[in-house]
Amino acid sequence: MNLNTQFVFQNKTKTLLIAGMVLGAVCLGLTFFNDDPYHTRFWTNWLHNSVFFTGIAFMSMFFLSAQITAFAGWNTVVKRVWESMSQFMWVGLILMGVIVLGVWGHFHHLYHWNSTDLNITDPSAPHYDRILAGKKGFLNPIWFTVGTIGFLAIWYFWAKNLRQASVDQDTMETSEFKYYRVQRKWAASFLPLGGFLSTVFLWQSVMSIDSHWYSTMFAWYSMISMWLGALSMTVMLIIYLKSLGYLEYVTQNHLHDIGKFLFGISVFWTYLWFDQFMLIWYANNGEETIYFNERMTHYPVLFWGNLLLNFVTPFLILMRNDTKRKFGTMFFVALIVFFGHWWDYFYMIKPGARISAHEALELAEGKHGDSHSSVAPSAAAKHEDPAPAETPAAETPATEAHGTEAHTAPAHEADHAPASDTTAATEPTDSHPVAAEAATDSGHGDPHAKGGDHHAVDESKAFKLGYTIPGLEEIGILIGFLSLFLFFFFNQLSKSSLVPLKDPYLEESLHHDTGALIEGEDGGHAHH
Amino acid sequence: MAAENTKVLYGLYNDEEVLKGAVKTANAAHLDIMDVYTPFPVHGLDPILGLKESRLHYLGFIYGATGALFGFLAMTWIFVSDWPTMYGGKPYWSVPAFIPITFEMTVLFAAWGMTITFYTICGMWPGVKAKTLDNRITDDKFCIAFDVTHASDSSVDQLKGFFQNTRAEEVNVKTI
Repeated sequence: MNLNTQFVFQNKTKTLLIAGMVLGAVCLGLTFFNDDPYHTRFWTNWLHNSVFFTGIAFMSMFFLSAQITAFAGWNTVVKRVWESMSQFMWVGLILMGVIVLGVWGHFHHLYHWNSTDLNITDPSAPHYDRILAGKKGFLNPIWFTVGTIGFLAIWYFWAKNLRQASVDQDTMETSEFKYYRVQRKWAASFLPLGGFLSTVFLWQSVMSIDSHWYSTMFAWYSMISMWLGALSMTVMLIIYLKSLGYLEYVTQNHLHDIGKFLFGISVFWTYLWFDQFMLIWYANNGEETIYFNERMTHYPVLFWGNLLLNFVTPFLILMRNDTKRKFGTMFFVALIVFFGHWWDYFYMIKPGARISAHEALELAEGKHGDSHSSVAPSAAAKHEDPAPAETPAAETPATEAHGTEAHTAPAHEADHAPASDTTAATEPTDSHPVAAEAATDSGHGDPHAKGGDHHAVDESKAFKLGYTIPGLEEIGILIGFLSLFLFFFFNQLSKSSLVPLKDPYLEESLHHDTGALIEGEDGGHAHH
Repeated sequence: MAAENTKVLYGLYNDEEVLKGAVKTANAAHLDIMDVYTPFPVHGLDPILGLKESRLHYLGFIYGATGALFGFLAMTWIFVSDWPTMYGGKPYWSVPAFIPITFEMTVLFAAWGMTITFYTICGMWPGVKAKTLDNRITDDKFCIAFDVTHASDSSVDQLKGFFQNTRAEEVNVKTI
């Protein structure tokens, strides 16, 4: 077989991908109009897809680096695919740059901590927010810029150099370790850079949407989600390239090993997903449980669909040995997992941003004539419970709840008493432990609706396409961003040989054999 | 298993590729190989020997499913009906709290079940003496063994000829 093949980016494919991007742009435009004044649907879609596809590029780099550091040999024939995927971080820099511009220019209300003109961090201001004031050292535009595009630029620099060392390797006369050692330096140093900085990246860009909430499991969980996005994308790309006649030396043995990763990491994702849930559920701390209570009550399709797509499907299908070696089955599972983790990011971003924007608007209405009216006044209260702490009404649901449910420890209430003294305050924490667990109908939320304060029906909880579940526009935007990613990927892939010709581990990779013994399978073993 | 001793004729090879060639030759000559011993798993040897895929993992699934069911139902019985206890205001039937234990029971049952099954199939009970043909097959030698307990002299000669033709380093007989 001829190893020295070059991918040709056909004009037909280019046209198709450009059409996909146009579709995405049109759909983005559609969500920009006909929405709330902050254009939250547009901005969440932009953020969602930018983070997801940038994350895929980042995890391709991270995974590749981990393998180079570990002297992995099986993967050499797939290396160029990951190298090309990782270069998308350059585009991600621009995509995330738009979000950063929005933060500085207050174009969107994705991040509630960014309501600076409301003086939420000033104790004497009417909308003083004690929690966000405490976080202002980290949740501010400067850190946001550093934590997103700053770190992304560092990663891209590493990815570019790693790829350069790999491309330079092709120019060697014979296969030796000269450039491999260079690659190892970039790869090994990328691991701590990627590992530590990605947590900050995810805190800033995704977790701070729910700016009062935090979870120490969050960065792990969302990083693994990116990894699965990258793995499933790899599987689909390999199978696609093979269907075009490329990568003939990538056998079902290579696919088998990527399939094992897809299976294993899916289980790991489930572990993190569940642990984040269970720890918060177990501790039953109101300011934490509200996150899940809100999602399970008002976004059940997102919440349970996440588990179905990302755990049940890959777990049951990929459990068997032979399914990981069948191209059709693997493509099917990869497609589901890919969509599943896109769905996962949808779940992380949409409800939080919607609630935050909704409350900001609600307060704006309440504060009519206020000099700050251009941007909605900051919620004094937390996003889930608009304004209860300022009104006596806040006491009511909490008391009711305590009366009907014997579960709450009185000490808990006492702990939080000082917090509710400061007018501004936090959410009425006391009511949540009860509400979150068993009393969703008698707990917080609904009492407000009945309670006759100025917001009679909480629109942020009603079904709405594009938030409660992805609408058609969101699917179009996914296609658009995917086309952008693929366009860039194929362009990168066509710039060098499809396989690192002088890689010292190439022979090992060409003869890779998992040793799996599948009855009725032929062609799997090169040793016949 | 019968206590009868087995007389084994075996040949040692230096290289796994030579060994695989020898096994193919033996197959072509319809020689009945008792077993092949190698210091490490040789890729591609199983199909040549005609070994079938192990069915142990089917049992593993059954053991694991049993463990999951057992763990979950046991927790349910204990904390709902046998000794209802309230922890931190949670309902008695607190599914999320049961998940870690259910998971652990799944792993425990699958691991123990498969280990015990595997040992039973291989006859590896406590106190069993290891029947090693040659210590070097755990180091750098590749071995093909024939059972010659009831073999005629002519067929033993035929096997010795086979070893010679396939470049075996040495040929020995041992009763185990």
